[in-house]
Amino acid sequence: MWSKPWNLTEAFTIGIGLVTTGLLLQYTVGPVDWDMLAWPVNAVLLALLVTGMAAVWWAGTRRGIYACHWLGGLDNAIGALGWVVVATLVMGLTRQVPFNAPTLHDNPLDALGLTRMLSFWPLVLLYLWLTFSLGVVVLRRLIPFHWRNVPFLLLHAGLLMVLLCGTLGSADMQRLKMYVAKSTPEWRALTDDGRVVELPLAIDLNQFVMEHHNDSLRTPKRYASDLDILTRDGRRLHTVIEVNRPASAMGWRIYQYGYDRMPGTTGHEGIVSILELVRDPWLPAVYTGIYMLIAGALFLLFITPRKKNDTDDLATV
Amino acid sequence: MTWQLFSYFALAALILWAVGAVAAWRHNSWLARAATITGLAVFGTFIALMWVSLERPPLRTMGETRLWYSFFLPLVGLVVYARWRYRWILTFSTVMATVFVCVNLFKPEIHDKTLMPALQSPWFAPHVIIYMFAYALLGAAFVMAVYLLFFKRRRRPKGLGAEMSLTDQLVRAGLAFMTVGMIFGALWAKEAWGHYWSWDPKETWAAITWWAYLVYLHLRLRYPQRQAEALLLLVAAFVLLQVCWWGINYLPSAQGASVHTYAS
Repeated sequence: MWSKPWNLTEAFTIGIGLVTTGLLLQYTVGPVDWDMLAWPVNAVLLALLVTGMAAVWWAGTRRGIYACHWLGGLDNAIGALGWVVVATLVMGLTRQVPFNAPTLHDNPLDALGLTRMLSFWPLVLLYLWLTFSLGVVVLRRLIPFHWRNVPFLLLHAGLLMVLLCGTLGSADMQRLKMYVAKSTPEWRALTDDGRVVELPLAIDLNQFVMEHHNDSLRTPKRYASDLDILTRDGRRLHTVIEVNRPASAMGWRIYQYGYDRMPGTTGHEGIVSILELVRDPWLPAVYTGIYMLIAGALFLLFITPRKKNDTDDLATV
Repeated sequence: MTWQLFSYFALAALILWAVGAVAAWRHNSWLARAATITGLAVFGTFIALMWVSLERPPLRTMGETRLWYSFFLPLVGLVVYARWRYRWILTFSTVMATVFVCVNLFKPEIHDKTLMPALQSPWFAPHVIIYMFAYALLGAAFVMAVYLLFFKRRRRPKGLGAEMSLTDQLVRAGLAFMTVGMIFGALWAKEAWGHYWSWDPKETWAAITWWAYLVYLHLRLRYPQRQAEALLLLVAAFVLLQVCWWGINYLPSAQGASVHTYAS
C-alpha cells in the first residue's frame, strides 16, 4: 500500500481513516453542530474549501505532487462514492429522529449517534471527502477550458454546487409556523423549538377556503388561504395560498401548512390557517446547480464516452 | 373505464408482446417490432382511459406505478432490440411485464379516486413517470448483468465487448432519467413541503441508489476489464433500487416516517 501508483486499496484506506477520525470526533467533541455554520461562518468555510480545492489542484497539476494529482482521479472518486454509499446505507437502515428530539435512553443506537446520521462525524467527513475531490476534479477540467468538457462540467460542477451550497446553506434556512385567524393581522411566527420571531411582513387572512371530495369520508380535496401580505413600507399584496402553490414576498416563501380550529367554535369562522414561512438565502445557488445537473443528464443520454487508453483521468462525462 | 377491464387489455397486450418475442427468435424483426408496438398501444390505451376515468394520473399507488412499469419494460426492450438486435431482449421484457401484470391481477391494491392536496401538482406525473422509465432501463441493465455473469461469461472468457457496452448504455440512460426524476421530485418538494431535500427515508434510499450507480459508471471507466466485479455491483445496485421503490414499505427504519407512502 501507498507505493505508486495508488489504486482502490489506497482509496478504501482513506475511507477507513476518515471513519476512524469521525468516530473519535463523535465521541470526544460530540456530534456535528450545524447551527454553528450560520452566516457568516458558512461563507468563510466555503471560501476556505474552495481555496483548499484550488491549492490541491495547483499542487497536483502544476507541482506534480502525486497525492494531490491522485485526489482528482478515478480511483479516489470510486473510493469516495463507495464509502458514501455505505454511510448513506447505514442512515437508510437506521430509524432517524429529528435534530431537536430528546435523547432516547432506551435506544443504544441513539447513544452511538446513528439515529442522527446527518450530525454523525464519519458520514459528514465521508461526504466532505467526496465534495472536496469533486471540487478538485471540476477545477482540473475547467482549466484550461475546452468546450468538449462542458457535459462533464455541468454534471460535476452542478453536483458540487448542490452539495456545497445545500449543506452550508442549511444553517441559514429558517422555517417558521404562523397561525392566522380571520381578520387578525399577524406578524409573529414560531420556530420549531417554540421561540417567537417577529417578521418584516404581516399576514391578514380574508378567508379560509375548504373543499372536500364527494366520498363518504369527506377527505379534504383542497384548502386555501385568501390573504393579504402587508409589508413594512405599507404595501398590501393580495394572494391565495394553497398546498403546492406557495407565495413569495420579501425573501420569504409562504406555504399553506395546515389548519386548526379554535376551541369552542363551529363552522368556518373558527378555523385558524397554519402557514409555514421559509427563508433560504442559498436557494438560488442550489437551483443553479440543479439546473446544471439536468442539462448534464441530457448530455448523458445523448453522448457516448470517447474511448481513451490512458487510465489516469479518462472520464468523459 | 375500471380495473375490471384490466385483464382484457392486459391479456391482449401480453399476447401481442409474446408474439413479438417469438418473432424475434425467428429473425422476423418486422413482426417483432409491429407486434410489440401494437401491444404497447393496447396497454397505453388502458393507462390513458384510467387517467381519464380517475380524473388524475394513475401514479399514486403501487398498483398504478406497476402499470407504468409493465408499459415501459417492453418499450425499453423494443428500443434495445431495434438498436442492437438482441433476440432475447423482447422475451425478457415480455416475461417481466407479465410478472407485473400478474401482480396487479392477483394483488391489485385498488385505489380510490381521491388525491390528497400535496399530490395535486404538475410535478407529480413527470416525477413518477420518469422514475418508472429509469427503473425499467436499470431493470434491463440488471437482467443483462445476470445474463452476462451466469450464462454468457462461461462461453466467452476473454471478455464481453459489445454486451458490456450495451449494459453501460442502459445504465447511463437509466441514471440520466433517475437524475431528472429525482430533481423533479426535489423541485416539487420545494413547492409542496417547503424544502427540496428532507432526508425522508425514500429520499435517503434514492440517494443510496443514485450513488451506487455512479460507483458503477466510474468503475467501468477506470477498470474496463474488471467486468465480473462491475456486473456484480450492478446486481447489488438493483437490489438497493428495489428497496427504494417498494422495499421501504416493509423496512422497520422507514415505518411511518415517509411522505412517500400514500397507499395505506
